[in-house]
Amino acid sequence: MTARNKKLINQPENILSEMLEGFAAAYHDIVKLDENGFIVRRTPKAEGKVGLVIGNGSGHEPAMIGLVGPGLFDVNVAGEIFTAPGPDRIVQGVKAADRGAGVLVCVSHHAGDLMNAEMALELCEAEGIENVEMVVLYDDISSAPKGRESERRGTAGLFFVWKMLGAFAETSGDLAACKAMAEKIRDNTRSLALALTPGSSPISGEVMFELPDDEIEVGMGVHGEMGTGRSKLISADATIDLMMPLILEDLPFQSGDEVLVLINNSGSLTLMEMFILYRRVAQQLEAAGVTAYKSWLGPYATTQEMSGFALSLCKVDDELKALWDAPANGAYLKQ
Amino acid sequence: MTYSTGADLVTLIVAISERINANKDELNKLDAALGDGDHGTGISGGFAVAAEQAQALDNPTPGDVLKSTAMALMNTMGGSSGALYGTFFLKASMLVKDKTELDSNDWAAMCQAGLEGVMQRGKAELGGKTMIDALAPAVEALKTSDQSLSGTMKQAAAAAESGAKATVEMVPQFGRAKFTGDRAVGHQDAGATSIMLMFQALASVT
Repeated sequence: MTARNKKLINQPENILSEMLEGFAAAYHDIVKLDENGFIVRRTPKAEGKVGLVIGNGSGHEPAMIGLVGPGLFDVNVAGEIFTAPGPDRIVQGVKAADRGAGVLVCVSHHAGDLMNAEMALELCEAEGIENVEMVVLYDDISSAPKGRESERRGTAGLFFVWKMLGAFAETSGDLAACKAMAEKIRDNTRSLALALTPGSSPISGEVMFELPDDEIEVGMGVHGEMGTGRSKLISADATIDLMMPLILEDLPFQSGDEVLVLINNSGSLTLMEMFILYRRVAQQLEAAGVTAYKSWLGPYATTQEMSGFALSLCKVDDELKALWDAPANGAYLKQ
Repeated sequence: MTYSTGADLVTLIVAISERINANKDELNKLDAALGDGDHGTGISGGFAVAAEQAQALDNPTPGDVLKSTAMALMNTMGGSSGALYGTFFLKASMLVKDKTELDSNDWAAMCQAGLEGVMQRGKAELGGKTMIDALAPAVEALKTSDQSLSGTMKQAAAAAESGAKATVEMVPQFGRAKFTGDRAVGHQDAGATSIMLMFQALASVT
C-alpha cells in the first residue's frame, strides 16, 4: 500500500485559488491578488524601472508568492501544483509587470517552466510587445556535471538571485543590465540538497518517492527527482562533511572568498536540526578560509512536508553585498 | 473516407477528449511511477476545453480547429505537456492553414511538422522514453502507408501503440523524469500513452 499523508485542504481542485486568496488576505499590506489571479505588489514599483516576473508550479511555498514586494518581484504567475503556467499566463504577467522599461522573465530551470517561457516570449514577439527578455536560472550541482552548468536544475539557491536581482531592478531602467546581473548571481551560486523523507502530492495525497526509513538521498530535486546517491542515515556533521566539499570544489569557492549562505528547509526539518547543521557549515567554511558575509536559515522553497534541506553558497563582491543589504519587503523575505 | 474536413476535425478532437477522459485514471497511475501523477487529470482537462472550443467554431477549416486546439491545450494545461501538445497542434495547423480538406499526404505532412516542433521544443529524441517514442512511429506509418485514409490511420494507431509499449524498457533521458533514472524501467511512459490514445481516437473516427 502506498503511504498517504494527512493534509488540511478543502477540494483538491481549489487548492491553488484558495491558497492565493488566503495569502493575499493575510499580507494585504504588501501584495494583492489581481484580476488575472496573479500575486502583485500592493503598490507598483516606480515608472521607468525594469519589471520582474516569474511563473512557477505551486506547492513550493513560500516560493514564489512570498517573494513579491518592494526590492523583490513585481508579479508572480502561480501555476497548478508542480505545473508551470501556460504561455498566455506568462504574457499576461509580462504586461502586468511592465513599468515602461522592459520586463525580465525569470525562469527556474525545469523543462515545463523553460518551454512555456520560450513560447511566451514568442507570443510577445508576435503581439509586438517589445523589450522582454528571459533569463534561465540554475544552481543544483547534482543535476549535471561541472562544465554542463546550463543543464542544471533551478533549486533553493536561486533565493540569492531573487533577493539581489530584486534590489538591482528596483533602481535600474536597463533591461540588459538586469539580465546580466541575474546571470552574474547565478554563476556565483551553487547548491546541493539532501532528503530524509518524502513529501506527498497535495492532489493525490500519495508520497512523491520512496526512501527507506534508514536512508538519505543526496541531490534530491524539488519534485523528488533522483539525486547522486543514497546512503545510510549519518550524523549532521557527517552530512555536511559529505556535501560541503562537493559545493566548494564546484565553483570553486576559495580561501579569501566571501559568501552568502542559505540552508533552505525542504518542509519539515526542525530549526534545531538546521542550527546544528549550520554549526558544521561555519566550521567547514572557516577551515576553507571562506568568510560567511550573511546567512539565512529557513523554508524558502519547499516540497510540501518533505524532510531535508539544501545548502547553497553564493560568492559575493562589494556590488553584490550592497544589493544583499538593500531593503526588501516580501511576505517571506525581509531585509 | 478519402479526406477530412474541418467538421471531421471537430469530431476528432471530441473523440480524443472522450478517449483520454475514459483513460484518465490509468494515465495518472502511469505518471505517478515517474512523475507527480497528474498527467491524466491535466490532459483530460485540456482536451475537454479543446473539444468545447472546437465545437463552438463557426464553419471552421481544419487549420482553425487545430489552432484552437493548440491554444486550449497550451493555456489550460500548462507544464511540459501543455507546451508540447500545444506545439504539436500549432505546427500542424500552420502547415494546412490554407486547406479546406486534408488527404493522406496532408495528414502525413502536418503530423511530421508537429513532430518536428515537439522535438525542437522539448529537445528530446527517439528512445528517450517520451511522447516522441509513440509519435515518431505513427508519423512514419502515415508517411509510408499506401492504404486508404482510414487504413492509414489504423496503421498509425498500431504504430503508436507498439511505440508506447516499447517505452516500458526505456530509461528516461529528458524532462523531470530524467531524474528518476533506472527506477523508471518497467513503467510505460504516460506521454507516449496519451499519444497512443490520440491516434486510436483518430483511427476510430476516420
